[in-house]
Amino acid sequence: MRERAGGFAGKVLRVDLSTGKIGFDDTVDRYREVLGGTGIGYQVMWEEVPPGTAPFDAANKIVFATGVLAGTGVPCNGRTAVTTLFPSCWPKPLVASGHMGGQFAAKLKYAGYDALIVEGKSDKPVWIMIRDGMVQVRDAGHLWGCGIRRTTFEISREMGPDCVVAAIGQAGEHLVPLSVVMNSASHSAGGVGAVMGAKNLKAIGVQGSGAVRIAGDRSEWERLVKFHLSILGSNNQHVVPSFPHPQAEYYNPSSRWVGAPGRRWGAAEPPVEINGGLFDLNRIAFRANNGVFYLGEQVWQHTVRGNGCTGCPIRCHTIIKVPSVAAKYGIREVAQNTCVGLLFGRSFFRTLPGGLMSQAALEASMVGMHLADDLGIWCNYGQLQRDMIKLYYEGTLHDRLGSKEYASYSWDKFENGDPRFLFEIIPRIAMRQGELAHDLGLGTGYLLDRWSIPETAWTGDMVSSYWKFGHPKHHANEDDGQCGVIINTQYNRDAQCHSHVNFIRNGLPLAIQKKLAAEIWGSGDAVDAVGAYTPMNIHKARRAKWSLIRKELHDSLGLCNWMGPWVASPIKARGYSGDDSLESRFYSLATGHQTSREELDRIGERIFVLHRALTIRDMGEIDMRRRHDLYPEWIFRDSNDSQPFTKGTIRMDPLDIAKAMDMFYEVMGWGKESGAPTAETYARLGLKAVAQELAAKRLVPGAQP
Amino acid sequence: MDSEKEREIIQVAASGTGMDTVLSRRQFLVFSGRAITVLATMDICRAWGSDSALVILDNAKGLVVADASRCVGCQRCELACTEFNDGRAQPSLARIQVGRTINFGPEGSLGRNQAQGLWGGGTFSQDICHQCPHPVPCATACPNDAILADPRTGARVVDTSRCSGCRLCLRACPWDMIRFDEESQKATKCFLCQGSPKCVEACPAGALRYVPWRNIARETAPRTAVFPVISAEKARGCLDCHLGR
Ligand code: SF4
Ligand code: SF4
Ligand code: SF4
Repeated sequence: MRERAGGFAGKVLRVDLSTGKIGFDDTVDRYREVLGGTGIGYQVMWEEVPPGTAPFDAANKIVFATGVLAGTGVPCNGRTAVTTLFPSCWPKPLVASGHMGGQFAAKLKYAGYDALIVEGKSDKPVWIMIRDGMVQVRDAGHLWGCGIRRTTFEISREMGPDCVVAAIGQAGEHLVPLSVVMNSASHSAGGVGAVMGAKNLKAIGVQGSGAVRIAGDRSEWERLVKFHLSILGSNNQHVVPSFPHPQAEYYNPSSRWVGAPGRRWGAAEPPVEINGGLFDLNRIAFRANNGVFYLGEQVWQHTVRGNGCTGCPIRCHTIIKVPSVAAKYGIREVAQNTCVGLLFGRSFFRTLPGGLMSQAALEASMVGMHLADDLGIWCNYGQLQRDMIKLYYEGTLHDRLGSKEYASYSWDKFENGDPRFLFEIIPRIAMRQGELAHDLGLGTGYLLDRWSIPETAWTGDMVSSYWKFGHPKHHANEDDGQCGVIINTQYNRDAQCHSHVNFIRNGLPLAIQKKLAAEIWGSGDAVDAVGAYTPMNIHKARRAKWSLIRKELHDSLGLCNWMGPWVASPIKARGYSGDDSLESRFYSLATGHQTSREELDRIGERIFVLHRALTIRDMGEIDMRRRHDLYPEWIFRDSNDSQPFTKGTIRMDPLDIAKAMDMFYEVMGWGKESGAPTAETYARLGLKAVAQELAAKRLVPGAQP
Repeated sequence: MDSEKEREIIQVAASGTGMDTVLSRRQFLVFSGRAITVLATMDICRAWGSDSALVILDNAKGLVVADASRCVGCQRCELACTEFNDGRAQPSLARIQVGRTINFGPEGSLGRNQAQGLWGGGTFSQDICHQCPHPVPCATACPNDAILADPRTGARVVDTSRCSGCRLCLRACPWDMIRFDEESQKATKCFLCQGSPKCVEACPAGALRYVPWRNIARETAPRTAVFPVISAEKARGCLDCHLGR
């Protein structure tokens, strides 16, 4: 057997759907410096997809990449980054990544691949079968037109029950930009389903029986894994429970650590009583219950269990069983999802009988999951539903939609929060039927364009939650002041970054957060209490940089940034500190290639800057500050007209935000005027060739062509 | 084994059962339930000496049991089993098997409507080694006497120095719990981690426990079509006892 580094599977698989050609690259030779995940994704897009390519062109590629730690026992490692040109990115498609959990990443690694690069375009529907060394492009004529569920069953019958299937639904087939690829029942990457659809690629089935080697000492590995488990909190790394308990010094009602002794998984057979010590490592899986967190206490009685990605003890996807929906709506009584996925159905309604945590809301959520997770629709982090509500309640729909189409919807059901409305709207979005459904599926930017609504109507209104480029905010100033704003300016879709918010919202008192912040970012001033913001300072800029780097690091190692960043821990004896050298220690042990925290952070930064370079190149624009790093007007508004930096408001100050961007560019080593990385920064990160290519196009500050 | 020695063992065993009679081998088997325990404490698993095939008579001391309704399908047990014991993450090699039931439950994708797993009712189930009593199917199948009882735990373990990689044990296990390590070309199975099971320790849902052995073989539906294999070498040993002289 050939000697190889641990951690890496060793090969990257390429499938060209135009020619049927199947090829392999050596991962370590070619991609070690970008680790995996989004790192491989961006590198492939940089090297192989020319600027000007459209998302649905055969020349666009789609990269499914896991990372070094995926498939191992490192907690929370089940992530696959799916990188491509995003059709929902407005006004011009640009590179972005969706991230899916589930079993896909681990299985791909066990099959022997760190990544799958899909190229070209098939002339008929196909699916890709990967069974260890055997890779085939198979006919998918019988699967086209089927939902994700049926597709998965059919492929599993062909490949065996323990394969993993990542499939698109009808939405992807119909090239709906807001569509997903989904695996393991509820784990999806948003925004990429239509790119698969355009390639006539229905699904990828993976079966892997191989190993991911751990290069380092076994018992050291075991110790580190156990240590990591000890510093985990609950979902989104909330390190204190949401309830007072003699074993816990602190609690915070907004924590997702809702599993308390005395609660039970009522729909398990027999029901499971939660008991035992709060911090017991054999009880971690009982801490999170996102079903309860999002849909209310009533969900305990419907909880079958928690579910999630390979190797993750947190189980953020809750499996819920609600028998009444089977009788009422003719759908399955069992569904599962997490966060906004759980809320897909409920979010369509502004009001629901009994409120957001009612039985009606729960049923709406069940119907929504049933439809969205089979048809394969992406909600764009809830923006799809917010757009619809805004259009309706502001009268735009009534005024602008043709009367025949308008009359085809039961608006009374919509207004009354009747889940039956979902059967009218959701399938139409997936099939692009009618103007409203078609345009909603395009994403906000293109929708506003087609309806001749100025973007400012959305960027001026906080209720819209809209940020820029067709996408909403993702933990912005409402959670983390200037730091949140900076992070939300950086991506071409919603930021999907949790490094910052998982620290701010970990549930610990501010004084302890400040102590931890001082240890990592040099000063307690790096953090404010939520809604009690102080003016910008350099430590916040450093924290923003750290957060972005850690996000890319996680997305490239196969780790979950929703569960990161491990700055804090539930352990009082440690002063509640976490350990942000974990990633590098795991990397070193897994690969046998000794790496420090600083070196790994540098690689994370390189990956992030590669994303920046791609954006600059594909926009053909050096002035990132004014053309790309945008923030909506609503961050400067407050419905009560509270002034910035007063307690209780998330309102930002324009001059202060300008200063925040200055400081951020400074700590990044980017031009202050342009927000574009300088030649020195590219060189420092080993991206000289990238800089040269950009300099030739006058896209590096101060560079002569 | 010389008959003197044989008689001696039987007598010791019989007295351990409270029956101070000299028994024939055949009669001995009748009382084996209690006698075996005695033999086990004497660390005698090769009951009839070095010239005959190895037959495991004693029961294991413990086994891992699983609660399907607590299992959250994280596969941390499989990962702990292979990483901490073999230095690699390889669920296909794990001596506890969860991954194969995660999608559809034990019935698989061809199962009936009542599928479990992610795509069904939501229950995952863990397949575990039963540490079977005599006649231990995997050990009985092995022509090389490569599956023996670990003197400390009684776990049925593969002695890789003897394993020839013939895979007969894989065909013999009704629960499909023998794994085959393609790298070393040897069989492997649950060895109870010398008495402190890594899988149990790793489970974040308390869904696994290490308990005193009991016979769960009859309570569990076979996973594969049972195809009992008795190697020719072992068959002689079986006849020896079961037909008497
Ligand atoms: S594969 Fe199994 S039956 Fe064959 S020699 Fe090895 S342990 Fe014995
Ligand atoms: S007891 Fe040890 S060998 Fe057996 S399944 Fe558990 S971890 Fe693996
Ligand atoms: S570690 Fe526990 S919960 Fe996870 S798969 Fe194994 S038995 Fe199930």
